[in-house]
Amino acid sequence: MEDVQVVAMLVRRCIAGDAAAWEEIVQTYNRRIYNICYRFAGSGDDAEDLTQEVFIKMYRTLPSYDHTKGAFVTWVTTITRNLLVDHFRKTKQDRMTDSMDSAASEHEDAQPLSEQIQDQSAPPDAHVRNREVSETVHAALAKLSPELREAVILRDLQDMDYREIATVLRVPEGTVKSRINRGRAELGRLLQRTYRQVM
Amino acid sequence: MRCNEFDLVLSDALDGVLTGVQLDRFQAHARVCKACGPLLAEAEAGRNWLKGLTEVEPPASLVNNILASTTGVDTQRLRVTVRAPLPQVSWLERVQASLFGYLEPIWATVRQPRFAMSFGMAFFALSVGLTVAGVKPSDLRQISLRPTVIRHTYYSTQARVVRYYENIRVVYEVESLARQVKRNVAPAEPGPTRQKDHKNDTTQQPEQKQERNYSQTDNRLILASAPAGPCLKCCDLPVVSVTTYRRFV
Repeated sequence: MEDVQVVAMLVRRCIAGDAAAWEEIVQTYNRRIYNICYRFAGSGDDAEDLTQEVFIKMYRTLPSYDHTKGAFVTWVTTITRNLLVDHFRKTKQDRMTDSMDSAASEHEDAQPLSEQIQDQSAPPDAHVRNREVSETVHAALAKLSPELREAVILRDLQDMDYREIATVLRVPEGTVKSRINRGRAELGRLLQRTYRQVM
Repeated sequence: MRCNEFDLVLSDALDGVLTGVQLDRFQAHARVCKACGPLLAEAEAGRNWLKGLTEVEPPASLVNNILASTTGVDTQRLRVTVRAPLPQVSWLERVQASLFGYLEPIWATVRQPRFAMSFGMAFFALSVGLTVAGVKPSDLRQISLRPTVIRHTYYSTQARVVRYYENIRVVYEVESLARQVKRNVAPAEPGPTRQKDHKNDTTQQPEQKQERNYSQTDNRLILASAPAGPCLKCCDLPVVSVTTYRRFV
């Protein structure tokens, strides 16, 4: 995925104060980090702020990167994941890990989550339909617990292998696989109920 | 195959890396197990939903914001700096530039109104202090730095300060009050003992009464006059009254 020697040289140049090398790193990894943040945090504004924080932290801790211990992308993803977990703990949002059939609030007339994210209006064309499906999947992803969410994001959206994910999450590979399975199943259950008529 | 084994190989099966006998066992368990069969279907559906998600485009200003918040340099400026050829500069200009680089933070501080106010107040206080001390700027040109002159200046200044201090009315009043209090607090000296001491005094010191200060308060005027009554009967001598101002101590 990345040439280790090239990245190591880039990092060395960056540590030496080469602004162009740092810009190259930012250009290379900003899209990936932004997407992880966006899928985890759920909002574009939060993702933008978090991506900036990730790069600020990366810029400060760049001398601590050791290319012999692992790939640069794994190191970057670990920083991103740690920051996202911190952000999650601070904001204390998205604690709700209930299924879509459970009520979102304690009110008796509260609608199930499946009905909340379900769009009743008919899409005018396929493009709009795809966009709405993406938004629905994104909303359903936000309903997963953070442990399951980060696992499926890293595996299915960032195409990381299990060993890298285990390194980032600091859990055994078996736990990673279990979380991915449960996350996928939970997501499938949420969305199957939502799109039962379509499917 | 058991359910926990099924869970372990489920991700491998979905990734398509499970083959042979293990795949057959996996599929057989999925068909018969009421818990694992739906789990496989839901996990596969969820994976397909996630694969359908496309990458989102980051905001256009994100890279610029990141570079500005990390290196403090805007991307456009960075590109210009990197690609533009360096102009030929003389050593004098480089020295000036480096000096300017060092002095820029100081100059930025000096330009602040707060610093100007502080400097003005300090200058005002210094000028007032010099005026009170009697230092004139015109005298500084004639100042001599010879050691004898410096010593003389020091002693004269010290004497002037002491004189000034002692002539202050408040200081004088406080000192006299302190003296009076001290005098009142001191125990009265027994007279006979002192006289006895004086008789036995062999130190050849002058008597203390000679050291007394004959102020006006201690003066007692004694009018010396002869008694008039009896003299008129026994003798016819004229009586002359004499007044003396001798002091009796």
